[in-house]
Order: sequence, then C-alpha cells, then structure tokens
Amino acid sequence: MISKGQAYRIPAVSVLMLLVMAGLGARLAFLHLGPKEDIQDRVFRTRLSEQTILAERGRILDRNQNILALDLPVKDVWVCPKTILENGHAHFVTHQLARLLQLDPAFVYDRVNRPGRQFEYVKRFVPRDVADQIARMQLTGVHFDGVTARHYPQGALMSHVVGFSNFDGIGSAGVEQGMNAYLRGRPGLRVSERDGRRSEIYNRRRLVIEPKRGADVYLTLDQNLQFMVEESLDRALDAYNAQSAWAIIQHVQTGEILAMASRPTYDLNAFRFTAEETRRNRAIGYNFEPGSTFKALVIAAALDAGAVRVEHTFDCEQGVWHYGGRPLRDYRPHGVLDVYGILQKSSNIGAAKIALELGNQRLEEYLRDFGIGSTVGIDLPGEEPGILASRSSWSQISATRIAMGHEVAVTALQLLNAVNAIANDGFLMRPYVVRQVMDSQGRVVFQNEPQVLARPVREDTARLMRRIMSRVTEEGGTGRQAALEGYRVAGKTGTAQKPVPGGYSDRANIASFVGFLPADHPEFSMIIVLDEPQPLRTGGATAAPVFKEIADQAVRYLGIAPDVSVADAQRGASSHGR
Amino acid sequence: MWKTASVLVGIVLVLITLGIVMLASTSGVHGETQFGDASYFLKRQALALALAIPVFFVMARIDYRLWRMGAIPLYVVTVVLLIMALTPGIGVTIKGSSRWIRFGPYFNFQPSELAKMTVVIFLAWYMTRMQRRAGEFLKGLVVPLILLGMIAGLIFLAPDFGTTMLVGLAGMILMFVGGTRIGYLLVTGISGGALFAIAVMQDALRMRRVIAFLNPYEYARDEAYQLLNAIYAFVVGGPRGVGLGQSLQKRFYLPESHTDFIFAIIGEELGLTASLGVVLLFAALFCCGVRISMHAPDLFGKITAFGITLIITLQAAFNIAVVTGCLPTKGLPLPFISYGGSSLFVTTAMIGLLVNIALRSDEDGPNIGADQAFTV
Repeated sequence: MISKGQAYRIPAVSVLMLLVMAGLGARLAFLHLGPKEDIQDRVFRTRLSEQTILAERGRILDRNQNILALDLPVKDVWVCPKTILENGHAHFVTHQLARLLQLDPAFVYDRVNRPGRQFEYVKRFVPRDVADQIARMQLTGVHFDGVTARHYPQGALMSHVVGFSNFDGIGSAGVEQGMNAYLRGRPGLRVSERDGRRSEIYNRRRLVIEPKRGADVYLTLDQNLQFMVEESLDRALDAYNAQSAWAIIQHVQTGEILAMASRPTYDLNAFRFTAEETRRNRAIGYNFEPGSTFKALVIAAALDAGAVRVEHTFDCEQGVWHYGGRPLRDYRPHGVLDVYGILQKSSNIGAAKIALELGNQRLEEYLRDFGIGSTVGIDLPGEEPGILASRSSWSQISATRIAMGHEVAVTALQLLNAVNAIANDGFLMRPYVVRQVMDSQGRVVFQNEPQVLARPVREDTARLMRRIMSRVTEEGGTGRQAALEGYRVAGKTGTAQKPVPGGYSDRANIASFVGFLPADHPEFSMIIVLDEPQPLRTGGATAAPVFKEIADQAVRYLGIAPDVSVADAQRGASSHGR
Repeated sequence: MWKTASVLVGIVLVLITLGIVMLASTSGVHGETQFGDASYFLKRQALALALAIPVFFVMARIDYRLWRMGAIPLYVVTVVLLIMALTPGIGVTIKGSSRWIRFGPYFNFQPSELAKMTVVIFLAWYMTRMQRRAGEFLKGLVVPLILLGMIAGLIFLAPDFGTTMLVGLAGMILMFVGGTRIGYLLVTGISGGALFAIAVMQDALRMRRVIAFLNPYEYARDEAYQLLNAIYAFVVGGPRGVGLGQSLQKRFYLPESHTDFIFAIIGEELGLTASLGVVLLFAALFCCGVRISMHAPDLFGKITAFGITLIITLQAAFNIAVVTGCLPTKGLPLPFISYGGSSLFVTTAMIGLLVNIALRSDEDGPNIGADQAFTV
C-alpha cells in the first residue's frame, strides 16, 4: 500500500491546510478589530439619508377670512419602466394611465417604454381621488408620491395682489412673494438610513423633526369689494375699448388697501401659461403721466403754502396762454376763474398760474411730501417709484406742465395715496395689503399698524380742498358722472395724452378719476385708470362713471350713512325743477 | 472512530443550523423583492435539507467499499450531466452561466456540485488501483490528470471558474496524497496555473474582477462593490456584531448576501465571535476528517476520507478568503451555510460517506490493514 516515503503526505497537506485556516482567522481578527473609524465614517455617511419634509404652506385670506390661497394634498404619479417592461404589461398600464389621467396614450407610452429607467414622472399634482382610483387597480410599477399643490379657489380674483407660488413652493408674485418668509413655514427633517437601492429603512429612523406649517396671511382686502371693482373694470374695458385698466380702493384713516385690481388678469391656478405682461400689477407697477388729477395736489400745495387764497381769481386767457415762448391750451376756453373754478373746470392755464405763484422750490417740496417720485412702501413686490425730476433740471415752463400732470409720472397707488392724504386731514398714510399674520397655533406673529408717513398739508387746507374737489362732481364740473345719489363725492378727473417719441400722442390717452367719499367725512378713496380708451374719451366721460358704479355698491356694502344735507339738497333741487 | 464521527456530525449540525438562521436573516429582503415572499429562500432550503437528511443516512449505511465499483459509473454519469448542463435546451443559464439542469418544475440541479464528490471517489479509486505504479509518469500523472481535466474542463466551460479551481486543486492534492511524484505535480501545477491565468485574461469580466481586486477603491462602484461592502460588513460588525437581523449590508448593499457572501453578514451581525467560530468549526471538521482518514481500514477509504474533508474545507477556505478580500471574487458557496440546494445535498452526502468510513474502521477493529501497512 502506501510506501513509507509517502506517509508524510497527508499530515503535510493537513498542516498546510490548518495554516491557511489560521491565516484566515488572523485576517478576520484584523478586519473585525482593526482601525475602523475611517471605514465606519465612510459607511455611515453613504448610508445616512437626510430627507427634507416639506412644510404645508400657509393660507392667504381676505379681511373676512375668505380663503384665497391654500395647499391641497395631491399626488405625483410616476412609473418604474424597468418593472413594467419586465412584467410585460406596458400597453395595459399605458392604456389605464392615459384613460384615468386624461393624457395622450402616445405620451404615456413614451414614458413607460424606457428600458432600464426606474423613475419617470407621468403626471404631477394629480387630485387625490384620481390617484386613489389608479391605486385601487394595483398596477405593478406605478407609484405615487404624496405632495401638496397650491390652489387658488377664487381663480383670477385678486390675482395681482395674491400672486402665486411656483412648483418649488416659492412665492413668486404678489403677497405670495412678499410674505414668503411667513407663508413657507419651516421644513422638517428626517434622518434615517437607506438600503442599497436608496430607499429609506423605516425602522432605522434616528431623528424626525416635524415640519412647521406656514403661517396664514390675512389681507386688508375685501373679496366682495374686489369682486365689484373687477366686474366694473371688465365692463369698462368692454364699453370703452381700453387696452388695460386698473383701480384701487383705500381706507382713508388707516391707509389699508380694500381692493386692488388690474386688467388684463389671469387665473392663478394657470400662472405658468401666462405672459409676464399679464402678470404685471399695473396699479403699483405702471408709471404714467397723471394729467389733470395732479392739479388737486398742486392747488392743495399752493393753498397750504399761502401762495394763493381760495377766493383769488386768475385770468384763464380764453383757452390759449403763451408763456415761456410756448402756448398752453385749455380743453375748453375759460375767462376769469377762482380756485374753485380752476379745479372744477380743470383749467390748465389756471393751474399753471397757481404753480407759478407757488414757485419751483415749494412745488417740488410739497410734491415730495405727498410722496411723488418715490415708492410709498406698500407691502407688495413690484412697486414703481414714479418720476419727478429734481427742480435743478426743470426748465422755465416745467412748473406749468407739472401743474397739469405732465413732465411727471406716478403710479395709481402713489396718486391715490396722495389724494387720500387730503381726505385724511393731511396725514399721508403708508398703504398696506397685509393686515396680520397668524401662525398655525393661532398666535399673531405679525401685525400691520396704520403708519403716518408725512403730513404734506394742514388740516384746514385738507378740509378746504375737500370742498373744492366736491365741486368737480357737481353741476358744471368735469366729473359730474362720478356723482352719487345721497353722497357728496370729492374727486378729480384726469385725461393725459400718452407720451410718444418727440411729444405726445393725439390718438392714445390715459383717462382717470381719483376721489373719495363722503366728501365731509371721507371713508374710502378710490382711483380708476383706463389705458387708451377708444375712441378718445376724457377721464370725466370714462373713468368717472366707473367710479360711480363701484362707489354706488361700495357705500351700501360698507354701510356708509348717506349725507343728509346732500340728499335734502338734491331732493330740493329736483322739486324746484318741477 | 464512533466518537470522531459524532463530533463531525455535531459540527455539521451546528454549521447547518447557523446557515438556516443566517438565511432567515438575509434572504428575506431578496425573497420579498424577487418573489414577493420573504421566506421564499428559507422554504426552498428547508426542503433541500429535508431531502438531504435521508441521503445522509443512506450514505452512512452503504459500505464505502462499494463505491470502488461505483467509481466509473459515477464518473460517466457526472460527465454526461455536465455536458447536459452545457447543452442549450436542457441546461439552464442564469446570469450567463450554464451550470444547471432543470429537475422537476421548481428545482434545478447543479452537476458541478456532484462533480466534487465524483472527483474524490474516482481519484481515490484510481490512485488505490494504480498504487504500485503511482510513481510512473504515465499512470501516475498523465492518465489521472486527463481524467481530472475532463471534468474540470467541462466545469470551466460553464463557465464556473471557482469550482474549476477547487476541483483542479483538490484533485491534484489527492494525486499527491495517492503517490504521484511531487516534481511532476509541481510542474503540472505551475503550467496549469499559467494556462488558467491565460484563460482568465481572455475573459473580460474575470480580468476586471482581478484588477478590481487589486485596486478595490478605484472600482468601488462596479467590480469591487461587493468586495468592499463585504469588508465593510466585518468592520462594522466589530468584536460583538450589530445583532442578529440588524445587518444593513444585506439590504441590497451585498447582492449575494444569502449565497456566496453570507459569511460577511455573519461577521456583521454576530461579530468576530461567530466569524472566527465558523473558521474554527471548519478547522475542527478538517481535523475530524483527517483523523478518520488516518484510521481508515484501507487506502481507498483513506484517500476518499481525506478527499471529502479536503474538498469541503478547501471550499470553505476559498469562500472565506474571497469574502475577506484575500482572493478575487469567484462564485463559491460556503458549505452548509450558503443558500443552494445542490451544494447542501452533495455536501451532506459526502459527510455521510465520511461517517461510513469512520464506522467501518470500528467494525474492522483498530487499524487493521492501513496503519499496519504504514508500519510495514
């Protein structure tokens, strides 16, 4: 059998084998017990999953707690093409998804038929009931992610004020943008471990910080007033063939904005299909030469400074006055008018002479006190500052042109706010749209208080101006069509030719009316601006009736008591006429 | 030898038990995602075990000497089965490897597992038969080498490099033990190794594995992904382990965590105690086997016993060396522990044969024949 020389062979191989085993044991000990910080760190880092949990965005509500913007739970529907193709039911899945999601089957099939891919969106922000319907079919390879989508239940209403937040949940216009810091809340964090396929391992969570829901923003705007304004603007656009139009209602004592509208408008739920120009809030973001409405500010300044007295008369030169080598014309020729008459008839020549009495320095100072030429600081993004050149660059005739609202540009908000100061005994208020912000626990985290920016004119000047401006809507005034039964309306019409290269257009103008009521104890002020009404019409003929239409509803909605003396006077006048 | 056999069976039972426990821990993730049943692999392995136990008893009962007559038929059957596995239509190809034959509707059989036993029995028979002429070049080297090469070559064609290496190396060691001259074997081994190296270099996949093995961190996302994740498992496990069932690596970081790389999960979940314990168990199994071999009644029993012991332990050593990053990755399961029915079935059968050899040496009285022959 085995020779002696070979007897060593099994023991020798055995010893070698045992040495190998010993070596493996040593290797194991080295791996298990050796330096590990480096590798453990590396493993820990790559396996750790840190997931942000999105916070629900706060709501936006009007002053009566009507919801204007909120987050709705929806689902993103996505597919794992690899799984679906391996299961061989790509056509079935495509058919079902296209049917339930109302998509083109070719589009769905393109998403499904991507071999090797493991993640393809089919449709995002799908309503929950639709997603549940799909989920009940239990299609292998079709998945859902619960997310939230911003929804605006009122659609286009108040669109320019509310604004929208984009798909990443970042406010990108209006209050959504301006109050983003409050609305967005604080995202939560989930620290966990993940497996080799990058999914979270649920029982390995280390830390969960719940997200903090965003705070609710309550506006000063009133959805019902807003609705009245928007309805009237739409009718006006139609009736006067205007390019665009905008309007603001402001509360006199506080400066709160009650309504703010701009046309054209858009549905906030479809913001991504809308042009930038449509999204523009013209009420605060459009500079225009105001025209005659500006006379109210110039006359208020001249009266306040004592440069003229209300009973002073001025020769209005029967319609044409040459000053500084340039002719200045009135719309209709007038003879001698007092200050009342100049505003009531809107005489350019009269206003120019008043401005000259006041002088450049005081004119500019007063206008700047009224807030002309700088932003008024409303809590909305996109406000324009208007244009008022400093007097050092004025020409000899600049004052006469500024007096009639040319060589100066304002925003509707700026002009309204300045006129509102006249209604408010001379106090210039900071306008604002956000009343307060309340967090999810009901704590008020931000509150806007009325804030006086300046006092451009004294109380007695303001009172006098209110009387003067009341004449505009009375018999013989340019703004008769803004007159309201039972209320005295103070206001001013404006009709400004639009500047074009080399001068002013005789085909395009901006017609406006700014005013407040009741004239003796003003409650709200309002501005209406119509851009390029066609055929060419004055502010008195276009904007004033819109003002009246809105004011008529607003006084009743706001429960403003009729002005007894006016009602009596009007009754007296009518009986007298009989 | 009754005591040695008992210890041997005890060791095997401990290993199988550990295997079932670890399979329960690791295969749930894979079963759940691949077949929608977390206990899919566990059930199949339990079934294989239920089949393997009677086979063990049958093998322990059959007089091992009968296998001398069975050697040639076994060899022929194995070669036929290996060829069938390679034949399209009969063989089953999984992940580019044609290693399986469909066996009933649910099971595939892996003939290369059977080949391990065949090589042991056939070479033991041959070397015993050629005992006096084992030193000759032709009868001692060329003929057995060709017969061994036949089986190894068929396995190589599958392709299954791990089993080829295992069978080739174990076969040559058995020839050495059986009396082939060491000089012949060294030359053959070196030239065989060179041929094998050339063959590996022809295969892009294997070549990349070797390169990745040499620079694991550069291939951390591809070829060395498994290797590095296996090493992480041991490091994270530390001396005490992260606890049974708590492995993170088994969650898709180690793709073969229930088969070839199960040892890494043992290290991660149960720590050095268990991983070193497994090495010690295999070492103990080896010692038992060698002791049975030393006391075998005849030369055929001696070589068979040693061959069985060697091929099981060598496979375990290869597997552990791969998992711990000492050798390039190749597909070899850890005997008794890794998932795999054919492997469990054949390994258990071989243990049965080994037990029979142990019991025969008792029956025939102490050291009749073999050991006396040594002393002659």
